[in-house]
Amino acid sequence: MLTTEVVIIGGGATGAGILRDLSMRGVKAILIERGDLGCGTSSRFHGLLHSGGRYAVRDKNAAIECIEENQILRRIGKHCVEPISSIFIRTPEDDEAYEGTWLEACKEAGISTKPLELSKLFEMEPNVSRKVKSAYLCPGAAIDGFRMLWQIFDSANRHGGKTLTYTNVIGIDSENGKVVGVTVQDMHSKEIYKIACNYLISATGPWCSRVAQLAGIDINVKPSKGSLIAFNHRICTNVIHRLHKPSDADIFVPHGTVTILGTTSIDSDPDDNSTSQEEVECMMKIGEATFENLRDYRILRVFAGCRPLYSAGNSSGRNASRDFAAIDHGKEHGLANFMSVCGGKFTTHRQMAQKVCDMVCPVLGNTAKCTTHEVPLIEEPSEQLMQRAKAVFPSYAAELAENRQGAQRLEQLVKDIEKDNKLGEIVCECENVSRAEINAVAEDSTSHSISDIRRRTRLGMGTCQGTFCTYRAVGTVKSLKKDWTEDTSKLFREFLEARWKGIRPVLWGNQMRDVDLTRGIYEVSLNINHEEKKHE
Amino acid sequence: MAKLKSDNPDQCISCNICLTACPVARATRKYRGPKLTGPALTRLRMLIEDQDPMLQYCSNCKNCDRVCPSGTPISTLNMKARSAYYKKNPHTLAEKILSNNELMGKTITSIPFASTIANLGMKITKAAGAFEIVGMSSKAPFPTYAKKSFSAMFKSISQPKCDKKVLFFPGCYVNYNEPQVGVDLVHVFNHNNIEVLIDDNFVCCGSPMISAGYIDKVQHNADINSKILASYAKQGIDIITTCTTCALILKQEYDELFELEAVKEYNVHMYDAIEYLLNMYERGELKTDFKTLNKKEIYHTPCHLKVQGYGKPTLKLLNKIPGVEVVDADAGCCGLSGIYGYKTNTAEVAAIVGSKLQKTIKESDAHEGVCECNICRLQMQNNTGKKAYHPLHTIRQAYGI
Ligand SMILES: Cc1cc2nc3c(=O)[nH]c(=O)nc-3n(C[C@H](O)[C@H](O)[C@H](O)COP(=O)(O)OP(=O)(O)OC[C@H]3O[C@@H](n4cnc5c(N)ncnc54)[C@H](O)[C@@H]3O)c2cc1C
Repeated sequence: MLTTEVVIIGGGATGAGILRDLSMRGVKAILIERGDLGCGTSSRFHGLLHSGGRYAVRDKNAAIECIEENQILRRIGKHCVEPISSIFIRTPEDDEAYEGTWLEACKEAGISTKPLELSKLFEMEPNVSRKVKSAYLCPGAAIDGFRMLWQIFDSANRHGGKTLTYTNVIGIDSENGKVVGVTVQDMHSKEIYKIACNYLISATGPWCSRVAQLAGIDINVKPSKGSLIAFNHRICTNVIHRLHKPSDADIFVPHGTVTILGTTSIDSDPDDNSTSQEEVECMMKIGEATFENLRDYRILRVFAGCRPLYSAGNSSGRNASRDFAAIDHGKEHGLANFMSVCGGKFTTHRQMAQKVCDMVCPVLGNTAKCTTHEVPLIEEPSEQLMQRAKAVFPSYAAELAENRQGAQRLEQLVKDIEKDNKLGEIVCECENVSRAEINAVAEDSTSHSISDIRRRTRLGMGTCQGTFCTYRAVGTVKSLKKDWTEDTSKLFREFLEARWKGIRPVLWGNQMRDVDLTRGIYEVSLNINHEEKKHE
Repeated sequence: MAKLKSDNPDQCISCNICLTACPVARATRKYRGPKLTGPALTRLRMLIEDQDPMLQYCSNCKNCDRVCPSGTPISTLNMKARSAYYKKNPHTLAEKILSNNELMGKTITSIPFASTIANLGMKITKAAGAFEIVGMSSKAPFPTYAKKSFSAMFKSISQPKCDKKVLFFPGCYVNYNEPQVGVDLVHVFNHNNIEVLIDDNFVCCGSPMISAGYIDKVQHNADINSKILASYAKQGIDIITTCTTCALILKQEYDELFELEAVKEYNVHMYDAIEYLLNMYERGELKTDFKTLNKKEIYHTPCHLKVQGYGKPTLKLLNKIPGVEVVDADAGCCGLSGIYGYKTNTAEVAAIVGSKLQKTIKESDAHEGVCECNICRLQMQNNTGKKAYHPLHTIRQAYGI
């Protein structure tokens, strides 16, 4: 039987942070995720590295945590953080009195707020509404969730941490009021087996209640769904917030090649990540106060995630505390060596992990100190490697590949292309993803579908939403002859359906024309919706 | 306000039709096509900076814009990216020289005998290999300079007083290299009781500067020209051009590049000379006292005319002249595309693109070539053994004036 000290359930930011922290303290740990890494809330979020400004008035502690972690992640996660700023703008619709309160609260929390002259604002952000009354510069930034998770796992793995993806935890095993392990099922082979451990941490975000239920424990985690709209290009250079009491659709985050507007807050089932057209319309209306020409920008798609809001009482939605909860089930429910961790933010995942490990490690007899804030997630590439990369990749692609894959993998990619220059060809033109990169990620043991490759490369996440790169990617992975690449019609369907899901609620204008083109290629030319007829 | 139209890559749905229409992408694999260089990479350029050698390969012929079913200003996105690139990287000497066409033209045509010396000088420098040193191709067909500028010649033409007046925008080429086109225009219009006005305050439309990556400098020219054009349009005076590139820049690109409000005030009053005459013909207003000419001409459609979408008036009008047969060369782009064909790094591509047109003309049994665009005509004459004229030349001949 597989045995380890700690089992962590959930491959989102929280679980990843805990795995890295434990591994760096020398605790043996295995993380179990039922899907791909980051397939839950941690890839269905806004991508904002909070400065704390949003929470300063209502929740000073949360604001302080944000600004502390903001500084740390900018340092240790350089490849995942776009070091831009946040601009808070007050529009005519926003309460003027709030401005003073907010400035005071930011000052108390140690968040810098630099007043921006409007002429300077319009120079920096030419698309922002000319009706803006005042503006402040804060240290918020954009953070790439997929990439950071991937790099946290890499870092954890280097310290001995292990991960099992596509593995569902279906039972919690206990003896004498103590957790002794979990029962899991391999989602591909359907095999069921047990893993023994001394301690179990559930970091399953909005699914925390369900997992606790496996041990017969009731906890009150209210999933609250938030929807996000992705626009085709960067309509702003910095994050743009409305300067008012936190509310729906009041933040735009420029994220890689796109801009994301969000969000909403609706009580829901944790598995529900749908978005309605009404929600989109509602957000667009609000968004127009920030960008008057918002409707001229093309919406690529929508997506949604569920916040894991923990409350001891019954409050839900935006009023529940954002602070995280670490519930010691030994103390609270009489089942020792089991803890549920939920709530918090992506921004503060490292600090949450540190606090959790500070509680768990003494139980295991480990007294090591947390060092996760001191060590960068991945190494910087050498100047020489970047030069070699620039020589073999098309323009722009070298830096993007380095950011996505890190120096170590980049070196292998460069070697691959140096050997066979055809591997330098771009498969996804919208996001500049090369064949070499697709091959390398497809070869990784955690890849089982084109969507898995997408999460690590941004394949298919740009303008064409898979119209041209899907068949290229399927062709590319098919030639690798792996188990999961045999059934190409399955690969096509899985990826295109996932793209389609996000496009459906925004099916108008150019996006509708784009979808028609996609259908022309896949339904008409490639006929993927019809199984091959068997001849008698 | 935000430069929505031209900075916004959102129109593009990545259909790649532009790739199939791009003469450069067909000629060289160094250029990965308009969609990628234009809208696709515009998104990435907002995120990261990089050296992008592909930027120099767009010839700005605008076939991509013409075929785009979504109305994406692809070539303008390219030109803007090129211009931004040159803010951080030095221009080549060739780009500096070639984009100075107006100053060179003005200087050379204003000094007696200077054109002879300049033309001779060009031959000598070419022979001495100096062209290659500054990065210009010695194989490309360079224009020669005129002895006297068009505006100087215009002043010595005595026009009849007519009620109907049009304003002519001659552009640098007619002004300094081939004033005869302008002179033919004045005579043909006068014959139809239309007086031609010119305005000494016009400056170069800016096309060579756009191609060489000096968009900022063009804004100055755009301001001057658009104000003048709008002031005439307001008086109900139509504006005539003979150069299809100047026309495109004035009618459309000033707006795409700088969002000049004035453009909308005058662009509906702008006509290509032949388009204007054909319109008159169709209304029964054009004099048709044509002589029989007995010649066969081969017509090449300039890319910058095609993209304006008003058909091929020259083919229609010249065929009304007794004894004139005009055939359509239908051989794609001439390749030169302004300064593109003269810089060594792109001249090779230009030569490949233009070879089809040259071959078609050479093998044709037509007596001469005919085309509105000045630069296209240079390519039509380049190693084809045939002369090429502006259609006004034939019309004036037919009128016998
Ligand atoms: C709309 C929205 C916008 C947000 N914006 C921001 C923002 O801009 N900045 C910010 O800092 N934070 C933001 N947040 C908050 C942030 O995204 C979350 O706090 C964070 O991602 C939670 O991570 P997690 O690891 O706790 O949960 P998750 O990422 O959801 O991870 C839980 C994982 O557990 C797995 N799992 C569940 N059950 C099982 C099982 N039985 N067996 C195995 N695995 C299981 C799931 O598959 C999932 O991958 C946002 C949240 C939402 C919803």
